[in-house]
Amino acid sequence: MRMPPFELHLPESLDSAMTIAGELADEDCDFDWIAGGTDLLPNYKWHLNSKPHVISLAKVSELSTLEPTHIGAMVRLQALATSDSCHPLLRQTSGTIASVMIRRSGTVGGNICLDTRCFWFNQGEEWRRSIDWCIKCDCGTGADCRVISHQNELCVATYQADLAASLLALDATIHLASPDGSRSLPLAEFFQEDGITRNVLKDGEMVTHLTLPDDAEDWQGDYQKLRLRESWDFPEAGIAAAWKIDGDGNLDGLRVASTALESIPRLHQELADEAREGWAGVESVNSLAVAVQKAVKPVNNTWFPPSYRKKMVRVLTRRALAPLERVEAAN
Amino acid sequence: MVRIRVPMLPAPGELPWSASVNDTEVDIHVESNAILLDVLRDQVGTLGVKRGCDMGTCGCCSVLVDGEPRLSCLMLAHEAAGCALTTVEGLADGHHLHPIQETFTTHGGSQCGFCTPGFLVVISALLEENPEPNEAEIKAAIDGNLCRCTGYQQIVDSVRAASMIITSGKKTADATDPMPDPHPGMPTVEVESEELEVVPDE
Repeated sequence: MRMPPFELHLPESLDSAMTIAGELADEDCDFDWIAGGTDLLPNYKWHLNSKPHVISLAKVSELSTLEPTHIGAMVRLQALATSDSCHPLLRQTSGTIASVMIRRSGTVGGNICLDTRCFWFNQGEEWRRSIDWCIKCDCGTGADCRVISHQNELCVATYQADLAASLLALDATIHLASPDGSRSLPLAEFFQEDGITRNVLKDGEMVTHLTLPDDAEDWQGDYQKLRLRESWDFPEAGIAAAWKIDGDGNLDGLRVASTALESIPRLHQELADEAREGWAGVESVNSLAVAVQKAVKPVNNTWFPPSYRKKMVRVLTRRALAPLERVEAAN
Repeated sequence: MVRIRVPMLPAPGELPWSASVNDTEVDIHVESNAILLDVLRDQVGTLGVKRGCDMGTCGCCSVLVDGEPRLSCLMLAHEAAGCALTTVEGLADGHHLHPIQETFTTHGGSQCGFCTPGFLVVISALLEENPEPNEAEIKAAIDGNLCRCTGYQQIVDSVRAASMIITSGKKTADATDPMPDPHPGMPTVEVESEELEVVPDE
């Protein structure tokens, strides 16, 4: 497929990346950041919302730092999956993302900033023209949403990044940089429930790294996902759970997060807190699984029907929480 | 129906690009938005790199970038500038095939052959890193390559056989040597010369 035209910039440091981004912003030029390219380039080849300038972060080595509580945005997913120093939950999760070849190119930052997907959107140009385009790529036509018609306000494309759920369950903080300065915020506040904007990144802003709390190593967890082909497909539903067991072997902390079900990954903190008080093993696992199932609202825009994905949320939550079936609540 | 075409403007100017492709220095000019796969096939001429899905699914376009297998269809050419690139053409050592190339032929690792370059490149990197991979490691390494003909078992068998060649320290046969008798041990039939019909030259 022919690439759309764009000018590539290859900065070798974060400072020079910021300078280029600032200059492009001053000239009113639209641009995209490119990290691994496994999400952006297929979309560009389909001529989906391409921009005239692209800034590649491939040569910015300071973004590749990987430490137990510090994960650079340019850390490759395969490096995370095979690292001895990162949290076991992140190692497990990144090992399930796509295929080994995609993980060698794909990055942590790119996975978190993954574009939302929808089977009305991720299609060739001719195909999209045949449906009169869609709200996410309307090409100036003011097209309606093809999944839920006559609303024309909110894009319901699905956010399908696996790492988001596990990082939410580990209470990660995300660090952003732009020509105007840098800022940090809890990962749960990074995402926005809109398939087009997706997150709070402003024009020209990018993710530099993620950090985990100092007590992250006291937390254990599990990630369960549903997908069509185990070898490489995007998740159709993903549930991450993380828990902390105190010295007496009782449940001291619990977080459950879901991804690939809506336009936003969700941290179900209230449901987890409610379940944790008076945790009663198998019974609590089952009731929390039902509560998470009720809380998510998938729509019909991926391979599996939403009803099936929703049913599987209960199963995946139960599987993720299976190690807690014999654990009691902390006093 | 509204008809709008996404504009297809000519790409902004070409930039110098140099890299070592199969130990040969290449100095060319490539477009700013060029994909490594297109440069390798259309400008460098290494047609062993196959364009399969062009989306990162099939692994047919795998090449080694500084020894690491990468999908050339999802890599911008300018990101690979200055790197040592190895395609399937660079695996053989002169007339001696890479062990995995030889065992693919002896164990039926390829049928239509379209996915073969991708598999060979990925497996050569695996064997370089781990000359004695177990079955799980082999399957994990080729997890990103799709084959629609052989069904993978022959490919796994080929990797095991190649691993044995590498660990034995032997070199593969010279590919230009005459082929050995394909049916050794078959009885030869004695034929009386009178029985042969001689066709005269016209």
